[in-house]
Amino acid sequence: MSRAPLIPLFSWLGHTAIGQTIRSSALLIALTQIIHLLGLTMLFGTILMVDMALLGFGIRRHPASQIAAELAPWTIGGLVVMLISGPLILSSETLKCYESSFFWIKMAILLIAVVFYFTVHRRTARSEPQSGRFRIRLVACISLGLWLAVALAGKMIGIYGDDLRVDPAPFQARLYHR
Amino acid sequence: MTPAASAMRNSLWLFDITETTHTLGIILVAGTIMLVDLRLLGMGLRQEPVSHVVSRIVPWTLSGFALMFFTGGWLFSAEASKLYHSPAFRIKLALLSLAGLNALIFHLTVYRSAPEWDERIAIPAQARVAGLISLVLWIGIIAAGRSIAYGPGYDQ
Repeated sequence: MSRAPLIPLFSWLGHTAIGQTIRSSALLIALTQIIHLLGLTMLFGTILMVDMALLGFGIRRHPASQIAAELAPWTIGGLVVMLISGPLILSSETLKCYESSFFWIKMAILLIAVVFYFTVHRRTARSEPQSGRFRIRLVACISLGLWLAVALAGKMIGIYGDDLRVDPAPFQARLYHR
Repeated sequence: MTPAASAMRNSLWLFDITETTHTLGIILVAGTIMLVDLRLLGMGLRQEPVSHVVSRIVPWTLSGFALMFFTGGWLFSAEASKLYHSPAFRIKLALLSLAGLNALIFHLTVYRSAPEWDERIAIPAQARVAGLISLVLWIGIIAAGRSIAYGPGYDQ
């Protein structure tokens, strides 16, 4: 699957006023990333608690379904914060993301994680699950693994993409001289 | 310079792995402690007694803290001279100390009477204030930590 057809979209996003504004200010770059990390923290903390409850390490006497219901607004809140700050970060470093394999890996895993959360995970957590059963444990482990992979792939974009932010020449060459 | 610090300096991937683990540790600490804070503020897990939330969540917080503390110390040893002049790094350490102090005061004072208000949603004001302070401090710690790489005084 080639990502080349998405070049116009990335080019447009990188040239939007908001992308250029963020990119020109170290403060705004840091701020969008901080907000993104706070969203991740919220998402990860709540998911961890629900998955631990599914694994049988939850809060005593309280079923996973209750914990999941109480934490769902915060999980979704964290996800919304990430889905707003994420595209803002993308607009500020379009090139770096486009060129980074980890960005595309992260998007793929994120899609799977979100679909998994709103289908299998939510249904399992709501169904008064008997924690400790194999199927329930499997759902919890897959959930934890997916979100951990999203976080790790995200971190890798930052670690292995810095050289691309410095030298935009190859990307621009492909954008403007095709 | 310690041998562990120079090993880190001479290996890029070792540094990257340690930094990634450090970030995960902070997310684990902040993500779990925020749930306790939300319970104290009556904004989440309202059905669960405070003591149950604390006893189940705090072991995760402490594991995350151990992870972040050791990886953090190791990262610091590798770039101590880079971090010395960073205001963001100093602010992060100050906020961390305050967060520790806040947790200590909470546990030594108002939490001792927890059996009296454990099941209630509206808990004593002192406990709610402790939750709010903790929430604000951990947001600050994450913000300061991320700012180290963007702020002045780093890598100069």
